[in-house]
Order: sequence, then structure tokens, then C-alpha cells
Amino acid sequence: MSDTAVIELRNVSLSYEHRPVLKNVNFKLNNGEFCYLIGPTGIGKSSFLKLLYRDVVPDEGSVRVTDFPVNKISMKQVPILRRRMGIVFQDFQLLQDRDVYDNVAFALQVTGEKPKFIKQRVLEVLGMVGLSHRRKNMPSDLSGGEQQRVVIARALANEPRILLADEPTGNLDPKATQDIMNILKLINNRGTAVLLVTHDYAVVKKYPYRTVRLIDGKVQDLAWKGDKLVPLKKEPV
Amino acid sequence: MSFKYIIKEGFAGIRRAKLAATTSIFSLFIAILLLGILSRVGYNVYVQAMSIKDLIEVEVFLFDIDERTTDEIERQLRAEEIVLEATYISKDSASAIMRQEFGPGVEELVDLNFLPASFKLKVDTEAGASQIETLVSSIQNLRGVDEVQYNEGLLRIMESNLNTFSLVGGGIALLILLASVILVYNTIRLTIYAKRELIRAMKLVGATNSFIRSPFIIEGVLQGVLSGLMAVTCVFFIFEFVIPLYLPEMGLLSWPFGSWYFLTGAMFGLAVLMGWWGSRLAARKFIEETYISG
Ligand SMILES: Nc1ncnc2c1ncn2[C@@H]1O[C@H](COP(=O)(O)OP(=O)(O)O)[C@@H](O)[C@H]1O
Ligand SMILES: [Mg+2]
Repeated sequence: MSDTAVIELRNVSLSYEHRPVLKNVNFKLNNGEFCYLIGPTGIGKSSFLKLLYRDVVPDEGSVRVTDFPVNKISMKQVPILRRRMGIVFQDFQLLQDRDVYDNVAFALQVTGEKPKFIKQRVLEVLGMVGLSHRRKNMPSDLSGGEQQRVVIARALANEPRILLADEPTGNLDPKATQDIMNILKLINNRGTAVLLVTHDYAVVKKYPYRTVRLIDGKVQDLAWKGDKLVPLKKEPV
Repeated sequence: MSFKYIIKEGFAGIRRAKLAATTSIFSLFIAILLLGILSRVGYNVYVQAMSIKDLIEVEVFLFDIDERTTDEIERQLRAEEIVLEATYISKDSASAIMRQEFGPGVEELVDLNFLPASFKLKVDTEAGASQIETLVSSIQNLRGVDEVQYNEGLLRIMESNLNTFSLVGGGIALLILLASVILVYNTIRLTIYAKRELIRAMKLVGATNSFIRSPFIIEGVLQGVLSGLMAVTCVFFIFEFVIPLYLPEMGLLSWPFGSWYFLTGAMFGLAVLMGWWGSRLAARKFIEETYISG
């Protein structure tokens, strides 16, 4: 595979009990690229991400993530695939029974890393999200924005090449949203591709990056025209 | 994979699902205890039955025949698979035995010269009643054989009792065992449900299914270990203290195969195996069915 795409969907169709969600979708995300995925609630954005981390398989078409043919790999390979990507959700999915440090260390423990490496790496990623001083706190002691930063730190622990974020700022106030966006920018500047699902028009406008929209089961590239996002003319391949 | 982590989570699981865990540990304990008691009593009944079977003698009475025919009959008797021993009792020794058993006056009542010569057969105790019947009818047909006698009724009664005992006992024990595996399965299912957030998070960061499963399987094995230890302790207590003290008329029931560790080892092993099995079934099914996206 010579091309630089870290994610590639070809003619992908997905339906739930015969109700189509995605119809013949083609999409590419390049290495190190930042991309928004927008669209109204219930249109299939989360399902799009599920295809990538193999929580669902497409009815038709192929999904490739780095060098994994996601729709074809065996159950045994699924965890290996997931270690190559960081996944962040709107609801933070932190484990309430352990502190910040252990929540992040967890990602490395389950993949069997050595204790010494784990310690070093956990402090490193907590530093990246600015929460080293909070490592002994329980998740319930943290604000929503801080919890989401811990989740991002956990997602980064395995040094993924791709970060998938499903409305990570959906529950956060503008200040916390800004913190998260700055961290995502930083991560992207370090070379990690980011696919960010969002509702937040203000965010898309303030941090301009490639933006695609999911509509009628299709993915469509958009561009700013003055104050508005409009469909980009498809260039001939 | 961190061994410490797995053991820690296994114990934590039992603490979390206290009620369900207590139920399944208790039922597995009852099942194993009953199996232990049944085996020990059953073993003693079996040994008893075998020693009764030892007493079943087949007697082959002969016509007045020459030595060559007698030798031929002996040869044919010994050729039978279930015949372990064939002892020849001549006319003379038959009278001697009679005299010994009934005293010197017996000659006035019976003409000892008419006592026939015979063979006494010792039959394999594993042989069933029907096999012995087949043997008897084939001996009946041998030339020179007058009559074959054996205690048919006793054999039949004993055999049917033994069969009923092992069938009913074994059936009950298996049912309880099955029920307790289902209870272990259910406990682990509940634990998995209670920890679905943890499982989702593990899947999210790329833990393998077998890694996610292992603490749950350890939890089931621990339930087996606890049930097994309790059952073994109880069996010791019952047979070494309670029965000798309160039911001395039951007599001394011996440990199967002569040593305490065969039965207790089997009980403990079975308990652990059932715990492992129930939890493995549940872990395989329900962890696979847990999706990252709820
Ligand atoms: N597991 C599922 N089974 C059936 N329908 C589902 C399932 N997950 C999502 N859907 C449906 O698929 C559509 C797309 O859902 P989703 O991908 O969550 O959309 P979005 O993230 O854009 O809001 C919705 O109509 C939703 O109800
Ligand atoms: Mg969604």
C-alpha cells in the first residue's frame, strides 16, 4: 500500500435491520490529517466510527484502517486494530473505581506493557493534557472538561496513528471545549490523524479544517464560502 | 498479561456480586457434598454387594461317570470366561463333608454312597445375572452333568437393588451438579453485566477477549475452590465425627479405595472443574456480546 491514507472506505453500505444508514460511501483520511464529520443527529456519524473500530461490519464494501482490512480481519485481530487508534466518546467512559493515573495506566496494562514503561508513558500523556498534578484524584473529583482530557490521555497511551472522537465536547462549556480543541490540535500537530465528529458549528468555524458532512447515507466534502459551508465540487478522479 | 491483575479482579468480582456468588458457591457446595456422601455410601454398598456376590456358588452335580468324562467336563468348565475356579468334589469327599457337617449319626439317615460327585464353581463377581444364566444352561447341556444349582433369586434382587441405587443416586447428583453449573454461569453473567463499563473500556483500549475473560473465569474457579473446600471439610466431619458418634449402627464406612484423598481429591477437582466450566461458558458468551458502543 503506497498511498498515504490511514482510513479508507470503499463503496461501504451499512444498514440496521434493513434500514439503510450508509449507502455506497467512499472516504479517505490521509496520514496526519484533521477532519470534521458533521451532520444532524441520527444520520449515522457514530455508526461511521463503529465501522472503523469494528463494532459493526458493513453489509457491503471494504474498510481499511492503516494496514488492517477491518471488515475482513478475524476476531483475534480486532484488539490489535484498536490499539492503533485512540477512541474518545462524549460520555467519558472513565472507570469510577480508580484514580486518574490508574485510568490511563489501564490502557497499557491490558496490552501487557512493562510497569516501568507504563509509569513513564502515563506521566507523559497526562503532561500532554495538562493533568499531571491531578493523577491521584478520582474521576468524580474532576470537572467534565478534565475528565474528557483524561480520556484523551488514555486514548493516546498506545501512541495511536489515528484519534477518533465522537462529539467529545458535546457535554462541555465553551471554555472546556476550547481546552479540548487545543489539545486535539496539539496532538494533530504531532502527526496523529484526527477524525472528529461534532455538532458544534462554532468549533468548526473557529478551528478550520477539512470538513465532511454525512447526508442521505453519503459523505460529502464541504468548503467555506463566506460564512457558509457549501458542498465542494467533486474533482474528477 | 499481569497475573496479579487477574487474581485481584477475580476476588473483586466475588465481592461485588455477593448474593449471586454466595448462592452459586452454596449450591455447588451442596452438589459436591451430596456427590461425596453418595459416593462414599455407594462405594460401601457396592463393596458389600460384591462380597455377597462372592457367596454365590454354582454347583454342578454329575452322573456316575468315568474319570475321562469328568476331566472333559472340568476342562470345559474352566474354559468358560466367567468361571474363575472349579473345585472337584468327589463322591468320597462329599460324604466326608456330610459327615463333618452333620456328625457321625448321619449315615443312619442318608445312604452316603448315593451322594453324587460335583464341581463347585467360583464365578467372576462382575458377571451379571443373565451371564450366569447363560453359563448355567450351557453347563446343563454337557454330557455327564445331572443338575446345576445356584441361588438365582438372591442374585436377581441384589442386582436390581444395586442398579436402582446407582441410577437414582447418580441421576440426582448429576441434576444438582447441572443446576450448580447454571448458577455459576448466572453469577458470572451478573458480574459481567455489572462490569460492562469496565469491559467496554477494556475493549476500547484493545484488550484481547481472552484477557478480558480471565478474571471472570478465575472468579468461577475461585467459587469452585471455595465450594470444594467446604464440601471436603463437611464430608470429613460427617464421616469421621457425626456418624461414629450419633449413628454408630451404620458401622464404619470406609474411604473408597482405602485412602481419604481419592474421594476428597475427586470432590475438590470436580468442584473446581464445574466452577471453571460455568464461568467459561458465561464469559465466552457475554463478553463477546458486549459492544463498545453500548
Ligand atoms: N445498534 C443499532 N441497532 C439499530 N439501529 C441503530 C443502532 N445504532 C444506531 N442505530 C440507528 O442508526 C441511525 C444512525 O445512528 P448513529 O450512527 O448513532 O447516528 P448519529 O451518531 O449521527 O446521531 C439512527 O437512526 C439510530 O437510531
Ligand atoms: Mg452519535
